[in-house]
Amino acid sequence: MKVVGARIPRYDGVAHVTGRTTYVDDVRVPGTLWAKALRSPHHHAGITRLDTSRAESMPGVHAVITWKDVPLLALGHLAALGIPADEPLLARDEVRYKGEPIALVAAESEQLAAAAVDAIEIGFDERPALFDLRQAFDPDAPQIHPWGNWYPFFGTVESSLDAGADAHGVVERPPQHIRMDRRQIRKGDIDWAFANADTIVQGVYRPAAIEHAPLETQVCQVVPEPDGRLTIYSCTQALYFSLGVVAAHLKVPLNRLKLVGGTTGGGFGGKVDTATETMGSLLALKSGRPVKWRWTREEEFLCSSTRAPWHMEIATAVTKDGWILGQKMLTLHDSGAYARFSPYGLTKHSFHHTGAYSIPNLQFDGYVVFTNRVPTTAMRGFGVTSVSFAVETHMSRIADLLGLDPIEIRLKNANRIGDTSPNGVAYMDPSTVSTLQTIAEAIGQELPAEYRTMTNEPRAGDLLPEHLVAQIGSTEGH
Amino acid sequence: MRLTVNGVTHEIESGPLTPLLDVLREELGVTGTKAGCHQGGCGACTVLVDGEPKRSCLLPAAYAEDAEITTAEGIGTREGLAPIQQAFIHHYAAQCGFCTSGMMLAAQAYIDRGGSDDPEAIQEALGGHVCRCTGYSKIIDAVAAVARGDSFDLTTTAVGKYTTMATGGEA
Amino acid sequence: MATVSTAPDAATEVLRPTSEQEAIEVFGDGKDVLVVGGGTIVLPELTYHQLRPTRAVLLKDAGLAWIQRDSSRVTIGAMTPIEELVDFPAPIGPCARNIADVEIRSQATVAGNLCAGEGDEAPRGDLQGAFLAVGATVRSAGEGGIAEEPLEAFLPNRGTRLVLSISYDEPAVGAFAGLDRPHTHDYTALAVSGARDANGTIRLAATGAGSHGQRLLSAEGGDADAALQDVNPHDDALASAWYRRKVLPVLVRRVLTDLEGPA
Repeated sequence: MKVVGARIPRYDGVAHVTGRTTYVDDVRVPGTLWAKALRSPHHHAGITRLDTSRAESMPGVHAVITWKDVPLLALGHLAALGIPADEPLLARDEVRYKGEPIALVAAESEQLAAAAVDAIEIGFDERPALFDLRQAFDPDAPQIHPWGNWYPFFGTVESSLDAGADAHGVVERPPQHIRMDRRQIRKGDIDWAFANADTIVQGVYRPAAIEHAPLETQVCQVVPEPDGRLTIYSCTQALYFSLGVVAAHLKVPLNRLKLVGGTTGGGFGGKVDTATETMGSLLALKSGRPVKWRWTREEEFLCSSTRAPWHMEIATAVTKDGWILGQKMLTLHDSGAYARFSPYGLTKHSFHHTGAYSIPNLQFDGYVVFTNRVPTTAMRGFGVTSVSFAVETHMSRIADLLGLDPIEIRLKNANRIGDTSPNGVAYMDPSTVSTLQTIAEAIGQELPAEYRTMTNEPRAGDLLPEHLVAQIGSTEGH
Repeated sequence: MRLTVNGVTHEIESGPLTPLLDVLREELGVTGTKAGCHQGGCGACTVLVDGEPKRSCLLPAAYAEDAEITTAEGIGTREGLAPIQQAFIHHYAAQCGFCTSGMMLAAQAYIDRGGSDDPEAIQEALGGHVCRCTGYSKIIDAVAAVARGDSFDLTTTAVGKYTTMATGGEA
Repeated sequence: MATVSTAPDAATEVLRPTSEQEAIEVFGDGKDVLVVGGGTIVLPELTYHQLRPTRAVLLKDAGLAWIQRDSSRVTIGAMTPIEELVDFPAPIGPCARNIADVEIRSQATVAGNLCAGEGDEAPRGDLQGAFLAVGATVRSAGEGGIAEEPLEAFLPNRGTRLVLSISYDEPAVGAFAGLDRPHTHDYTALAVSGARDANGTIRLAATGAGSHGQRLLSAEGGDADAALQDVNPHDDALASAWYRRKVLPVLVRRVLTDLEGPA
């Protein structure tokens, strides 16, 4: 192999160090208009009035768009994975997070665009807001969506229409027969595990939201072409995905759009939401002019999606010699105001909720919870980073309570070939054992011979106690 | 008003209070200098003004009027890369590249002031620059290498066994 | 090429005085004129349309950047970059060194920092505490003419006058203790400065415990906890008022201890 294992300089290294890498904001198109957004100042409110006429008549303003300009207002980005739409591109009847976009203006200069946004007349009736996801389940909690405060579509959903979407793609009332309000995993016999444990170790883990904070803020440049197509310079991390999203919102065939990607100035999962391209396109179409929409750093911090906050409760049934017999887990995932990709993230989370360890008896319940916060999205390790943090912290806690070595207890329970994941998939070549041994060496911890010589070969002998037999799976026909 | 950028003097139409960053990017089309925050908080906009690193988003254009302004485009060419540029390539100090212009010019000024390969001193000099991709250690390695006077084989990189300041391990 | 200018309205009249006298004349009574020192505070406010001045005075060429020493009296011109203070003895040196980073410090000015308005997100005017502790006086222009007054008296009016210079007598011993965030940008959430003169008199001051730098008169007798009586900390993005109240006496104690040391 010529490339794997070789030390090859980046192909864009010279461009980066000579200032010649072209990011979206570096693209220069004559006649480009500046876009600015009118955003909700409230966490939760009904929209009682929206009048853009003053803004539209200002000199230098070439287009103003609202929800009425969007051919398909609400699009489920992951409808193909059974997650129907719940988020209008531009707010129509209500706003559910501070910063939610309501209207956009395209004007000759940034200053003019900002002045035009200020000239849009808007009325709100404020509603109580929900910020703490634990309170989402209280009967008197503010209601964020027509179906309540947690995602109800974990059952099989074929499409947004199937979920009861209207002509604008907005789902008001999901049909009862497809309601399934959590991601659930049951494996083995959890009651046996808890009855036969020497001790139950409990913990609650609550990692907070994290802002991606890429150096390059969200930005797009859209150019209407003479043949009626649009060229969209995008900072997206997922070019074809975003192409599909824009085409679906605009109700045009894919070949009407040309997305030009390139170097993204940092994404980390925060540039998969297709946050600017559709609105930029609508402004370009309405004005007939190229349009650029570049978020300020303040918008990036306050309005762009973040990694979700999570609330995880773990109770583990353990023996005094360090076997983990079973685990109960409740996960609340804070999706913010809209679902976006959260159900997918929670599903991944559920498949990996035992971390790097083989735990045969499981009870997992996970909810995608809505709050009046900025919608959350992917960020490096989406869904799994949270559970890694929780499981590893919990393992150390178990070791501490049992008086066992934290590396040895992990080695004992580590995934091996043939052990199965929470959703029953057999591991082909898990690296937990070798990773732990490398860590021990790196920190200068001498492991006893029994642990030093462990491998990830299928469990046998002392490493295969009775309680782990039933979870062994087949690695054939993977 | 006239501004001299990378050795070329331009007659400028933007007003004297326009941030230098916007004159460079929007009026002159010299886009190597990046706009990360427009409030001096990230360092992506740093340029050299008479060899001194300044945040161009905070500098009124009038304040750069009689000075030599140097941007990332001006410290070396593809055929003749400056040592700091070579170091950034060889030590894998750029990933997305958005912080690179500013980071590199601050490093150039540090080297020109006689900066040493001491990681603490390098961190102090580059303290106003945010990088979200690299975790900084390779940037510090690159600057230290230039301070030591290393030469760089651009057909390969120094990336290998992970180097951190904590372990002081080998590249 | 699109002129995407985030500059203020073309109607802003920009004045560039080339001497102290000219600067005083164009500043006038300070009404309706924006003073641009280094630009580090004002430029973002212009960019984000928080300021729309009709007149702006750019001070770079007004000859206000200098440092004079006359035995133990130090006088600093208004436009002196903060970076030139980092090697001064405590409290001023460590306080200056703690501000932002080297690039910002080489552009930001001493007077600009002293005159910073109250900040929403973080305390501003880091140097106020240090200069209060050394008993600095401010020479300024504005309504009523040139005035020279203690910094304490100047601070409430700092938005209406043009600072020309700051002077103080070098203390026998100085000290500085700051609460920092381990962060690229050293935002000082709370800091205490102290100075002991040749007679043994102690002055203490805090930045980040109120709307501008405050003397800590109640603690100057040695009772660190009494400093809480002199302050009115706010919640902001860096720290809560509660936390500031907890930490203030700790910083005061450190400064008092350092001030007991030899000159």
